[in-house]
Amino acid sequence: MTRYYFEDFTPGWTFENGPRTLTAPEIVAFAREWDPQTYHTDEAKARASPYGGLIASGWQTGVVAMRLMCDGYLLDTSCVGSPGIDELRFLKPVRPGDALRFRSTVLEAAASRTKPNRGTVTFRWEVINQDGEVALSMIGRQLFLRRPAQSDR
Amino acid sequence: MTKPKKLYFEDFAPGKVWEIDGPALTKAEIVEFASRFDPQYFHVDEVAARDSPFGGLVASGWHTVGVCMRLICDAYLGQSASLGSPGVNEIRWTRPVRPGDRLKLRMTVVEAKPSRSKPDRGTVLHRWEVFNQHGELVMHMEGLGMFLRRPDGRQP
Repeated sequence: MTRYYFEDFTPGWTFENGPRTLTAPEIVAFAREWDPQTYHTDEAKARASPYGGLIASGWQTGVVAMRLMCDGYLLDTSCVGSPGIDELRFLKPVRPGDALRFRSTVLEAAASRTKPNRGTVTFRWEVINQDGEVALSMIGRQLFLRRPAQSDR
Repeated sequence: MTKPKKLYFEDFAPGKVWEIDGPALTKAEIVEFASRFDPQYFHVDEVAARDSPFGGLVASGWHTVGVCMRLICDAYLGQSASLGSPGVNEIRWTRPVRPGDRLKLRMTVVEAKPSRSKPDRGTVLHRWEVFNQHGELVMHMEGLGMFLRRPDGRQP
């Protein structure tokens, strides 16, 4: 059910949830399917890599953020997709057992000039580990439908 | 069988292009990926998706990225001296990817910079362009990768 519309995402709005912990088998299984580099798939080779052990694919950390966002609030919104992401940064390796939290902050909200029923919201999305370090950061844009007029409710 | 040649920083010269044919995404794959990672209704519910602005089921943008990452690993990254990635400058999902769409990836080296502080490595900026079977651009991004330099110091 849609509870939140474009108008609900004003600059400074923030949301945090989690944690989600990735196990070593989850890290290996994801990477075998989508990103089979040895420091993601092979514990022994990962130990000899510059990371000194198994680390999650950055894309896996990205979809941890996406899933936490969906479970946290996105599925209750009028979101109709995303044009893209900027400044995606993999800042700290994510290792097995890391307890990951997701934080979303609204940076900007702009009503569409051409389509009066929607607007674009710009967010900073962060994945934070158990030591409070930002492991992943990105700027994401999403389109949200505007709240229907009172008479339509 | 000879071992494939290992690729180092020096092998990623600006202008180098890889064209990689990808798979067609099935409805079942689109729904399965999104059910795990991005369960928005227009990715997981075919009926509800018809009433969305997309007019039907579309793949999660993360799914398109994952398919391409796998293609790159299989094509060359798995045999490279890759040290990982500091990040991606931009991702744009320019058109929906729908069930049955067949993806094709073009990777272009935009820039290659030796590290100033670590003489054994360098950073390569790649432009990823993903097309559907009609030749329409469905996604593009600019991704950074770190690679070790060729140990003998020679050019490829």
